[in-house]
Amino acid sequence: MVRRKNTTTLRITASYVVLMVFSLVALYPVWQIFNISLRPSDRLLSTSLELIPANASFGNYSALFTERPFLLWMLNSTFIALTVTLTGVALASTCGYAFSRYSFIGKKIGLLSLLVTQMFPATMLLLPMYIMLVQLHLVNSYLGIVIMYSATALPFCIWQMKGYYDTIPTSLEEAGKIDGCNEFQTFVRIIFPLAAPALVITALFSFMSAWTEYVVAAQILQDTELWTLPLGLKSFESNMGSEWGLYGAASVIVTIPVVVLFLSLSRWLVSGLTLGSVKE
Amino acid sequence: MQSQTLRHRIYLFILVAPAFVVLFGVVIYPFFYNIVLSLSNMNLRHIRDWRIIGFGQYIKVFTEPSQPDFYVVFLKTVIWTVVNLFFHVVLGVFLALVLNQKEIRGKAIFRAILVLPWAVPQLIVALTWRGMFNYEYGSINLMLTQWFNIPGVQWLRHPLEAFIAVIITNVWLGFPFMMVIALGALQSIPHDLYEASDIDGASWYHKLRHITLPLIRPVMVPAITLGTIWTFNNLNIVWLVSNAGEPSDQTHLLVSFVYKAAFNFYRYGYGAALSMVIFFILLVFSLTFMRKSKATQNVYS
Amino acid sequence: MNARTALRIAVAFLSVTLAVVAVTTLDSCGTGRDHRVRLTIWHQDRIDIRVILQRQLDRFMQLHPEVRVEQLFKETEELRSGFIIAALAGQGPEIVYGPADQVGPFEIMKIILPLEEVFPKDWLAQFDPRGLTWYKGHLYQVADKLGNHLTLVYNKKLVPVPPRTDEELIRIGKTLTADLNGDGKTDRYGLTWNYTEPFFFIPFMTGFGGWIMDDAGNPTLNSRGTVDGLKFIKRLRDEEKIIPNEADYNVADILFKDGNAGMIVNGDWSWAGYQKAGLDIGVAPLPLITSTGLWCAPMVSPKGFSLNANISEEKKAWALELIRFLMSAENQMESARELYTMPTHMQVQQSDFVQQNDILRNSRIQIDRGRSLPVVPELRAIWDAMRPSYQAVLAGTMTPERAAEEMQLLALRRIKEMNE
Repeated sequence: MVRRKNTTTLRITASYVVLMVFSLVALYPVWQIFNISLRPSDRLLSTSLELIPANASFGNYSALFTERPFLLWMLNSTFIALTVTLTGVALASTCGYAFSRYSFIGKKIGLLSLLVTQMFPATMLLLPMYIMLVQLHLVNSYLGIVIMYSATALPFCIWQMKGYYDTIPTSLEEAGKIDGCNEFQTFVRIIFPLAAPALVITALFSFMSAWTEYVVAAQILQDTELWTLPLGLKSFESNMGSEWGLYGAASVIVTIPVVVLFLSLSRWLVSGLTLGSVKE
Repeated sequence: MQSQTLRHRIYLFILVAPAFVVLFGVVIYPFFYNIVLSLSNMNLRHIRDWRIIGFGQYIKVFTEPSQPDFYVVFLKTVIWTVVNLFFHVVLGVFLALVLNQKEIRGKAIFRAILVLPWAVPQLIVALTWRGMFNYEYGSINLMLTQWFNIPGVQWLRHPLEAFIAVIITNVWLGFPFMMVIALGALQSIPHDLYEASDIDGASWYHKLRHITLPLIRPVMVPAITLGTIWTFNNLNIVWLVSNAGEPSDQTHLLVSFVYKAAFNFYRYGYGAALSMVIFFILLVFSLTFMRKSKATQNVYS
Repeated sequence: MNARTALRIAVAFLSVTLAVVAVTTLDSCGTGRDHRVRLTIWHQDRIDIRVILQRQLDRFMQLHPEVRVEQLFKETEELRSGFIIAALAGQGPEIVYGPADQVGPFEIMKIILPLEEVFPKDWLAQFDPRGLTWYKGHLYQVADKLGNHLTLVYNKKLVPVPPRTDEELIRIGKTLTADLNGDGKTDRYGLTWNYTEPFFFIPFMTGFGGWIMDDAGNPTLNSRGTVDGLKFIKRLRDEEKIIPNEADYNVADILFKDGNAGMIVNGDWSWAGYQKAGLDIGVAPLPLITSTGLWCAPMVSPKGFSLNANISEEKKAWALELIRFLMSAENQMESARELYTMPTHMQVQQSDFVQQNDILRNSRIQIDRGRSLPVVPELRAIWDAMRPSYQAVLAGTMTPERAAEEMQLLALRRIKEMNE
């Protein structure tokens, strides 16, 4: 028993060391970006290991909001990302469920075709995609971009939902049937809540696909009033003579909502209220 | 009974159709457009009057001498993909396991910090890494020389070192995603399985090998499959960290060829053919991997 | 599963879709109400130019309330590929602004319009001919700025008098290069620049008598000029040790900004930024190579306006009006004063300010010594062919002689591939 306690202490200590080391590794480059945001006159690099730059200031942060339409980009991006998240969760949770639970004609082909959509280098898709969106009058519209982003995020989300549903025993639905629920009710009341971790991943992934995407947005949104954050950020970068201070500050701010979203969703990602308690 | 199956079909259709309508509405036209382009001679001189010429562009993909060599770049792309995925998955699952222990305090803080590489905008972070790899002023060499007394490495001037540098950067960027997936996947494992094996006195390795890994597989396999596809085609990081292929165009992936062909040299037909080749490589990989990992099957069936 | 449930799901999906559509259409209403003629300019200019352009556009819109002009910044590569994609789909901005080398590919793809008929002859005659880009017998771009050229920028605190010749450059460089904190590593260099882009190699190549292509557009990279230019750079780094071992644009920039390099080879786009960073800079023409008697000559390019081939007749009249407005002496003067850009309007070139300002005067000398940027699309192939060998020489993995050969061979192959 003593030996057991010792190995537990050792394991926990080792775990903390591992977490500390990886946290430092994860943090250092991000700290560098914070550092860039504090430097005056657009210095991307520094020749020393200093953690806080000489004559640091928050001028870049205030400039973002006073001199640039950063708030507008933020609102646009938030709207688009949340719409894509909702669409992603709604479509992937239902579609993934069908792929996990039922057998139907074209199921394997369907699953494979989801992957197929991801295999093509995006570079070559830009021209036909643009031609198509022009025909559909979806250039310079949020509908166009929401559809594009949902289509980008869905394959992973569906596969991921399907994978998670696969780990939920089918006996639960049978139990539900005995209790008098119909197929849809068992799905919504029993299976859906159990898949909370997968829904969190789906939501995060959909959000991130919209929040960070640049190439498609640059081709579709050619009106500055519609600009999203990645487009705004890119406008700080020009071939020679980028505004690295603003870029750094904007990058720091852009990161915060993602971390907050992740933390607030984490409750369901790692909650104990999952299969363990139900399966018993 | 018949109405039962009809209703069932409607139900299935409603579950599956919306996602597929969105997806294929967007993908099908560009896809076929590309197949046509790949069989055409569309380039700078034939941008509007292009015509179908057959498989000429495909032959060029495999036989045209290129700088750097097509097959070398293909090999590098494979190494890049395998090494990245290996570290993403191993680090991601490992950190998820460490974070999932109930004794650890401050999990939220660690989770928040560890997810940062995924959350931060890629362009600036890639350029920051490039700066960190600078021979004289980069923090990596400064740390090596000042703290460990190891001579600095000329990261960006030699092909192997530059390749390692881009891989390090991408491993850093990619592990949080796999960690998040693995954290979710771990929740699907019933606690009683562990308790039962504790009573049997099973070692942690035994539990990892026989409980944890098999049970997170259904969630991890799609992430790994798609992770492979994305990494294979991930132009950005390599392009930014190596500053478009430094040193001397040695640091490229196959997609760099597509990008350069289409955007620098206006060779759209060739670029489309190369895209199709990449597509088939990934298709063969996915089919094999899915068959081996039984991804389309339910674990409990 | 009963029909009612199925119906409920269907309704749920439909309402989500409708909500999305509703919000989107609502959103586009804001722009839909505007009945003004809408013009868009795509450009690739940095922020201080954008600010001045916006000021000028605002003035134009005040003069013409029935027009709304929007400027859109795109990064160089993206401007080009994005414009090609949009124009091939029958869309795109009415006006595209940038360096003259985009004229070549755009003309071949027939996505820009000839301008010699639409502007009056006497109006065109007001401008420096170098600002009017003709290609295959037609005028395709009218420029309001001349330059985009490299010069020698020096920190006056460290370099009171700039070098005139390569020998002076080395002498001054040697006095500057020093290990200031005594750790055995050089902390301050005489000179620096971006080693990774062949654009920065051009002045060294021309200083030794080389050039990238002949008049027919054939590459001439395997030349004495290339070899000697490369040798000269190697000498600066390995023998004279006045330039750093490794530098890309950002490294060179930070070295100069921090006072860790006394001089930098950088373009007209960088001057205002260095002043903003608090440096007391001077601009000097690049030095004379004594052994050849030739000046190091950078590439010089006009930056100007072209018209999208998809433009409607109604918008075309306004777009021409706008270009004439932006090219006016008054507006060119404004840019010259604030950004030290070289105007193309002769009257502005002759103005006291342009003639007497120290930076502009030296910039002018450099422009007159420079070589024009070729407009042909083959230029892309040349850059791409030069890059790997140039980098390999600086990495010490290739001899200058071999590099010149490789550049030439690769350029020939790339050009053949492009034009097949």
